[in-house]
Amino acid sequence: MKAMGDVCIIDDDHIFIYGVKRLIRETAFCDELLVYHNGEDALEELKERLNNKLELPGIIFLDLNMPMMTGWEFLDEYLQIKTKDPSQTQVYIISSSVDPKDLLKIKEYEVIRNYILKPVRIDDLEKILAEQG
Amino acid sequence: MKTVDFYLNLKDSPACIAILDLQLKILSHSEKLVQESFTDEKDLKGQVFYEIFPSFPKKLRSLKVDSFDGKTFIEETERYQCSGQRTYWYRWKIYYWTDESDDQGRITVVREDVTDSKRSEEFLANSLKVARIGGWEVDLINNQMIWTDVTREIHEVDADFIPNLEEGINFYKAGEDREKITTLVSDGIRDGKAWDTELRIITAKDREVWVRAKGEAEIVDGKCIRLYGTFQDIDERKRMELKYQEVSQRMSLATDAANVGVWDYNVVDNTLVWDDNMYRLYGIRREDFSGVYEAWESAVHPEDQEDGKNRIGMAISGEKEFNTEFRVVWPNGEIHFIRAFAITQRNESGEALRMIGTNWDITEIRQAEAKLKNLLDITSEQNKSLMNFAHIVSHNLRSHASNLSMLTGFLSKEKQEEEKIKLVEMLDEASESLNETVRHLNDVVHVKTGTSEKIKPVNLCKALKAVQKNLRVLLQEKNTRCVIDVPTDITVNAIPAYLDSILLNLFTNSLKYSHPDKDLEISIHTRKDGDFLWLSFADNGSGIDLERYGDKIFGMYKTFHRHKDAKGIGLFITKNQIEAMNGSIEVESEVGEGTTFHLRFELTESNSGLS
Repeated sequence: MKAMGDVCIIDDDHIFIYGVKRLIRETAFCDELLVYHNGEDALEELKERLNNKLELPGIIFLDLNMPMMTGWEFLDEYLQIKTKDPSQTQVYIISSSVDPKDLLKIKEYEVIRNYILKPVRIDDLEKILAEQG
Repeated sequence: MKTVDFYLNLKDSPACIAILDLQLKILSHSEKLVQESFTDEKDLKGQVFYEIFPSFPKKLRSLKVDSFDGKTFIEETERYQCSGQRTYWYRWKIYYWTDESDDQGRITVVREDVTDSKRSEEFLANSLKVARIGGWEVDLINNQMIWTDVTREIHEVDADFIPNLEEGINFYKAGEDREKITTLVSDGIRDGKAWDTELRIITAKDREVWVRAKGEAEIVDGKCIRLYGTFQDIDERKRMELKYQEVSQRMSLATDAANVGVWDYNVVDNTLVWDDNMYRLYGIRREDFSGVYEAWESAVHPEDQEDGKNRIGMAISGEKEFNTEFRVVWPNGEIHFIRAFAITQRNESGEALRMIGTNWDITEIRQAEAKLKNLLDITSEQNKSLMNFAHIVSHNLRSHASNLSMLTGFLSKEKQEEEKIKLVEMLDEASESLNETVRHLNDVVHVKTGTSEKIKPVNLCKALKAVQKNLRVLLQEKNTRCVIDVPTDITVNAIPAYLDSILLNLFTNSLKYSHPDKDLEISIHTRKDGDFLWLSFADNGSGIDLERYGDKIFGMYKTFHRHKDAKGIGLFITKNQIEAMNGSIEVESEVGEGTTFHLRFELTESNSGLS
């Protein structure tokens, strides 16, 4: 299975990030993994990539509950900068939240492909790979 | 001495006069009599008198000579004239005499036309009858009483009833009515004082009737000889009046009891009238104002005056019925809510003439509503925060639990020892995080369920100094300048452990988020506000972008700084703790300049009276 383009994880939980990294390695999911511990760092780096004429990541795994900038706030700003990049980005929300408010909000964003409730399993990643064709 | 001349002279008499023989044949008459008879003959001599004048009373025709005995007989008759349907009244006078020339008996008849006076008499009688005014008179010398027909009618007695004064008085209703008339009549007899009063009689048919009795006394030589007056049936009018009085009394009883004020505005004259309740509702006294309008203006809340005037204007123009609410400020500063309603009376062309309205106090209702709304707000706020809390707790527990399960999954498959050690370290960390979350949860539940100690008076200054002392080393590290400007004797209602926790959190927040380039400055001040004390806790730290985070700053697990110790739990607990002590917390901040928290405490009773 050919790995897709770059994948980006935005989550403040380093244990979770360790886990995802491991799973990605096991599934040979992607070429490059971009890891950010909060939304602000992620935005800055992604803007930088655009400036350097680099593509935005094909997939973003986004946590919702983060300090300073929530996943939703990140997404709003990300959609602003994304207009400069014609390539497709798919966002997967990965969160522990079962708050109905969050679940409703997902429908407002076309860019969100799916919502994955933690913990993430290897099946989840394989399913995503299958979706990418 | 009667002579022929006499007969001749009679001819030119201006009266209707005739002289008859004893067979009532006309011997002589005046010309005037011919003019007023229905005959063409110029000379009526020799005619039988009553054949020419059929209205001549029968009673006079049959009088015997003996019965005259020097008397004059007078009789009145009516005569109808077919032509004009008009009634004439005549007064006939006859007397008997002897003509000395032939020693024959003669009768003189004189007819007077009394129609005019009779008509006005009749008119008066009719008026009195219509007005139900009767007359009465008491001759005190003979103790005889005369009642007119109407008076008898009013008393419902027979036409031939003749009362005396005592009987007359006994028609008055026993009790206060009879006592009153007795007093008035006795005063009249004694002092000649007139009276005019309205009392009840019980008629002969046992009906109660209201009458107006007027009386006057005639005094001769200091002695009352006659009482006379009128007696009017005013039953219908009086009962209506009493009914109206009763209704208006009942109305005013109702408005008094319900504390409803009534006002009446004459649009045309631009005059306003208030009843006493209105002044009570506005907490002012009638005598303190030159006019009602001035009173209204002085009492209505300045913010509501224009609206009130507009609404009156709209009611007058017909745009909208007057039905509104406004506030009045009592002289003692109390604000009362007034409900007002009015109807507008108009003339046929629709112009407003008059507005009649009511006012009543709905302060209690408004207060109860506000209280209810407040309770509802608190409840829904609490529900919201509980819901939020539940989701946050579930989120946090879930993230740690999922990490644990993920890590154990890896560990079971891991072969490399080095990696296993790393995994175990992370397991430790995850379980510690879970532990911490449960501890936070415990803290929050503790505050939320109020299983804490009781509220009691706490000296705020001492509490501040104690926390400051505990943090001495940390404050010194940051080279902190700390100003605590709080009166040493002030006490607030607080749960000591919560107060310590709140103050500790405020201090540590200031320490954690101090400005990297500045020495930390903390200044603490207090301000009294009625039963409350406001504590301001200001620092010159890095501040919070409130435009961005404003509503979230007191939320659970919300952090706004890149700081390793930022847990997002402190202010959440602080808010819950201060609210558990019936206080509140607010924040103002500017990024890079500093943050000020405003905390509201309840003053203990011993403090709240002072200023």
